Amino acid sequence: MVDRDNFTKVAEVGDIPEGEGEGFDVDGIEVAVFNTGDDYYAINNRCSHQRAPLCKAGDEKINAEDTWTGERGGLNAEACTVSCPWHLWEWDLETGEHEASGQRIGTFDCVVDDDDILVRI
Amino acid sequence: MEPSVRRLESDAEVPDEAFEDEIIDLDFHVNPLEDELLEYVEDDRAYDKLTTEFGATPVMGKWDAAYGIKEGQEGLFTQGRAKYAEDVQEACESIAVDEPIVNAGINNLNHQHHPVLKNAVAQAANDYMLDHFADEGIYTSMMVPKWDPDYAVEEIERMADENNIVGAYSWFDPKVPWGNEQFDPVFEALVEHDLPLLLHGSLAYWPQHSYIGDDMLTWTEVLGFDWPIHAMVNVVNMIMRGVFDKYPDLDVVIQEGGHWWVPFLRYRMDEFYEMHPEDIQITPRKMDSGERYLERAPSEYLRDNIYLCTQPFALPRNAREAESLLDLSMADDMFIYSSDWPHQTLDPPTWFYTSRAFDDHTKEQILSGNAKEILDI
Ligand code: FES
Repeated sequence: MVDRDNFTKVAEVGDIPEGEGEGFDVDGIEVAVFNTGDDYYAINNRCSHQRAPLCKAGDEKINAEDTWTGERGGLNAEACTVSCPWHLWEWDLETGEHEASGQRIGTFDCVVDDDDILVRI
Repeated sequence: MEPSVRRLESDAEVPDEAFEDEIIDLDFHVNPLEDELLEYVEDDRAYDKLTTEFGATPVMGKWDAAYGIKEGQEGLFTQGRAKYAEDVQEACESIAVDEPIVNAGINNLNHQHHPVLKNAVAQAANDYMLDHFADEGIYTSMMVPKWDPDYAVEEIERMADENNIVGAYSWFDPKVPWGNEQFDPVFEALVEHDLPLLLHGSLAYWPQHSYIGDDMLTWTEVLGFDWPIHAMVNVVNMIMRGVFDKYPDLDVVIQEGGHWWVPFLRYRMDEFYEMHPEDIQITPRKMDSGERYLERAPSEYLRDNIYLCTQPFALPRNAREAESLLDLSMADDMFIYSSDWPHQTLDPPTWFYTSRAFDDHTKEQILSGNAKEILDI
């Protein structure tokens, strides 16, 4: 049972395709929400390295057909990480940690209730 | 009160204020597809050979992105691959760049050993860039074949007066530094056409097949420090060998060669020169002119004739320290913003809006002022 008073609805199931993320501004705080297929994860939208918007991770590259990976960074559902679209730092979606630098960015509880995707800010 | 929730839909990836400033990006790479590029080779014999399996750039560098980046060589296309003008425009919209100065890159062309074939690729690259970029209204730096100064001059004469050709792109390396007198005809042509010489690091001359090169085992050493060493050596070589006394109007831009080494160079060059100025007179240009010394202190050429692209910026996080370093590095006079799009080492202009190290003047000089001083745009 989710105490909805503590959460904010950002989207509904189906709004964020599996394997992708979306960015939201919740009362001035930027949050990126990713759908791994099994779960939804919410993390600070700004990479601490140079402040790239993490919600753009996995966006198609310009002329993707002429590159090999096709996408700018992206979600790794199995590892539960997202790699940043600019310099590919990998962020752990559960802990908010970038292992190599030891830097950490905020993560937020994220649950689904009644087909609503809720984030606790 | 209900919290306000808004989906982030903007394409902008950098702070809003960046879109209010004029931003010129002096190192923006285009990556033509090889077969489309080779269509522009004029000589049929060269074309026949280049379109065999041998290809235009047959030799891989020992050190390349495949070694250092998880996505392998794809690190060269982390953001995508710009083939035509509209690709560049699309990329610039999200990072607030108003005027990208594009180049055809092909930084491994130096590896190609065959003088005729590599000149044919340089000619093709210039014509491709003319057709797809300069003629489409995008400022372009033409390619200068460093390995063949006569041909370099020919290409400069052929390209310089075309619309939107605003710079001459070549490479710095540790084998034949640009102070060498063989480049005088190139300098002369550049000055005559008012084109700055943009020198980028190249794959051909990383510390490959050398003692120190083989002992560099990490990407941090190779990518982070080898190019800056070559850049420093080239800059000092040009200054001490009197290039800028002979060509005071020549502007040289170092791309991806580092920039925080300026304080080291400016003080050390001056001190060493003041202590031992006597050998200047036996450098070839001074032998010709009969002059005994440089006309100015070495650091003054650094300030007036040399410009440094900022990417990768690596700005200290502490704003006060960053401000002092910018000051010591003569950033107001020497630094020019560059993104290095589309490589994994990309530097969007976010730095200028998230650090308090920049006053309005410094920011403007780096983002557009210094570039406009040397580019006819
Ligand atoms: S901004 Fe995210 S890795 Fe650099």
